[in-house]
Amino acid sequence: MSEQANTMSDNADLYNIRQGHVEVDEWKRFSADDESGLPESGKWLIPLAYWLERADALRTQGIGLAVLVTPDDEVERLQGALQGVSLVAVDFPSFTDGRGFSLGYLIRSRLGWSGELRAVGDVLIDTVHYLARCGFDSFTLKPGHDPEHALRQFRAFSVHYQKQYVNPAAGVPAAGVPAAGAAA
Amino acid sequence: MYLYDPVDQQLVDQRVEQFRDQTQRFLKGVLSEDDFRPLRLQNGLYIQRHAPMLRIAVPYGILASRQLRTLAYIARKWDRGYGHFSTRQNMQLNWPKLEDVPEILAELAKVQMHSIQTSGNCIRNTTTDHFAGIAPDEIVNPIVWCEIIRQWSTLHPEFAFLPRKFKIAVSGATHDRAAVGVHDIGLQAVQAEGGALAFHVWVGGGLGRTPVLGSLIRKSVPWQHLLSYLEAVLRVYNLHGRRDNKYKARIKILVRELTPKVFAEQVEAEWEHLRDGPATLTQERIDEIAGRFTVPTYVQPAPADDVEAQVRNEPRFARWVRTNVHPHKVAGYAAVTVSLKATGVPPGDITSEQMEAVADLADRFSFGEVRVTHEQNVVLADVQRAHLYGLWQALDALGLATPNIGMLTNIICCPGGDFCALANAVAIPVAEAIQARFEDLDYLYDIGELDLNISGCINSCGHHHVGHIGILGVDKAGEEWYQVTLGGRQSSGAGKAFDYEDTEFPKGGGGAIIGKIIGRSFSRAQVPDVVEKLVKTYLRERDSDAERFIDVVERIGLDPFKTDVYGAESSAARRRDEEVANV
Repeated sequence: MSEQANTMSDNADLYNIRQGHVEVDEWKRFSADDESGLPESGKWLIPLAYWLERADALRTQGIGLAVLVTPDDEVERLQGALQGVSLVAVDFPSFTDGRGFSLGYLIRSRLGWSGELRAVGDVLIDTVHYLARCGFDSFTLKPGHDPEHALRQFRAFSVHYQKQYVNPAAGVPAAGVPAAGAAA
Repeated sequence: MYLYDPVDQQLVDQRVEQFRDQTQRFLKGVLSEDDFRPLRLQNGLYIQRHAPMLRIAVPYGILASRQLRTLAYIARKWDRGYGHFSTRQNMQLNWPKLEDVPEILAELAKVQMHSIQTSGNCIRNTTTDHFAGIAPDEIVNPIVWCEIIRQWSTLHPEFAFLPRKFKIAVSGATHDRAAVGVHDIGLQAVQAEGGALAFHVWVGGGLGRTPVLGSLIRKSVPWQHLLSYLEAVLRVYNLHGRRDNKYKARIKILVRELTPKVFAEQVEAEWEHLRDGPATLTQERIDEIAGRFTVPTYVQPAPADDVEAQVRNEPRFARWVRTNVHPHKVAGYAAVTVSLKATGVPPGDITSEQMEAVADLADRFSFGEVRVTHEQNVVLADVQRAHLYGLWQALDALGLATPNIGMLTNIICCPGGDFCALANAVAIPVAEAIQARFEDLDYLYDIGELDLNISGCINSCGHHHVGHIGILGVDKAGEEWYQVTLGGRQSSGAGKAFDYEDTEFPKGGGGAIIGKIIGRSFSRAQVPDVVEKLVKTYLRERDSDAERFIDVVERIGLDPFKTDVYGAESSAARRRDEEVANV
């Protein structure tokens, strides 16, 4: 876990599932309201609007950069603007806010993003399978949701009806594998 | 009926295991109540007034006899020996225990059944015409298309957490028996140029607290593109439907706020990305799915029958034939409605013993298939006319031959305040009181075709908005009151499904109309009197026996009915009441 101090309070460790493994999450959310600007080190999830305004400058800072998409965002605005980004994260303020599933699908299929696509926020053992099908390959789990248990959920369904979405049972999707829809 | 292939079975089995795990985590306290709620709802499990309520899916209303026997077994073993058929062609059990539900689902999976997506903010059971495949007025059998939509929508990864529930109906005939005009999406099969199959797509209809008629947002979507078009509609809705207020979250509000034109443009823009993509359907795929349906082996020519003589000799049989026997496209065959609307029995309720008996009759007389109608009855769709008399005798002995289909006492009714935690008022006792008032069959037949629908609250599960007479339970300062609507209908009737104005975005596919409130509401005790007054007005005003109740309402309007119901009150007071009632 990064020792980097931030204006946001440090919470207990969060866990990621990436490429079939569990790891402690090192990424922090940067708030656009933070007037001191982005710290000079660490790994940061940067709100979409903030990123679009300052992308050129931020790319030169040599820190971990990720774009954080929230449900109200229009992901089409990121077209051609993702160079220098380590990952794209989609926030789920509540797991029942299903917009993030469509946003993930669009980031893969419409923007053609083949890098890491992470679900953050209210991410449950019970939703990782569907998220993976929409093209997410990285998941920061909600506290209280056992990551080892979540890992088994990629095989919860070994067959599916909707063939154009990823089949996570065929192995946890590796970063860089686009949703099949991207080929369409 | 449809027979599962290994993929269908595996999905259902794995869903049972997924829900077993979720239930265990909840019971252990590892999964919070808030997190569990949406998950159990997507498995049809509500927490209701007395106990959990489990809603079991009956895809497009079709059951095999062995499935009906399993429902009988489940109702007996884990419930109180009866079930309730809902207006979504599903079955509800009112008394299961939460911890038993995984076992119940496992039992269902053994006969290719489940409760997936029977509740929650997802795509629900696709409904259709209960005479699908046998109706003489059919353009295409909609059942294969319902199954294609069932597969597409089942465990859809992207559309499991929509702003609100989502209901699709498919009609394949020139008489819309599926009520496509009051669904989130209503699909109407049409023959496009050159005779190819296509679908008119109606979007944004729905009942509930804000009844709205669907708008025709695209004519004649070629069948190959049906799923990509549905995907486009769902994606636009999922991204842009309101999530700030659950009462404004249905797609009907989005369509209305954007206007049908703008909504259609957004769908069109999304569809441009999808058309001809991987969701495109092929003839091979359609044939594959159609091939998994059993096909009735009709005897041709069918044996001669004595129905005419039997009708002459037995007036009770004659009545039943008149109302409960329906035309069939195959000579010598008929469809039969098994009425679940006997007076004194909650509409749509059926005991385990009756389920087993109906399953046996289905095996004997109708190729082992049973259909659930959205009017909460059961249909045996493929009965030889020569067997009608024997079938009638058997049904009569079971109390399932009430000759009232299409009549006033064939009431659509939600479970209401006796069972449902949402209801403001009871519904079943109101239905019973009305049925008791109109028990004289000669009187009932003189009144003729009349749809009377009752909902115990504004969620409108009893479809009161589209009843010729609609009754809605409302709560006024903790007391039960009943509001009456008039002039609603679910469709415009035989042969008229495509009779709508040729405007850019016509409304109400199939001819649906939302009923209008007649004025201030009534106490429970007053309701049968009010219905009787409405009927008397109709009988007085009609031109002839051929002019139906709904025709008279359309011709003379509501005023003569209001005057008879409310007496000589000043019209000013009535207007004031109406304003209050419309708030």
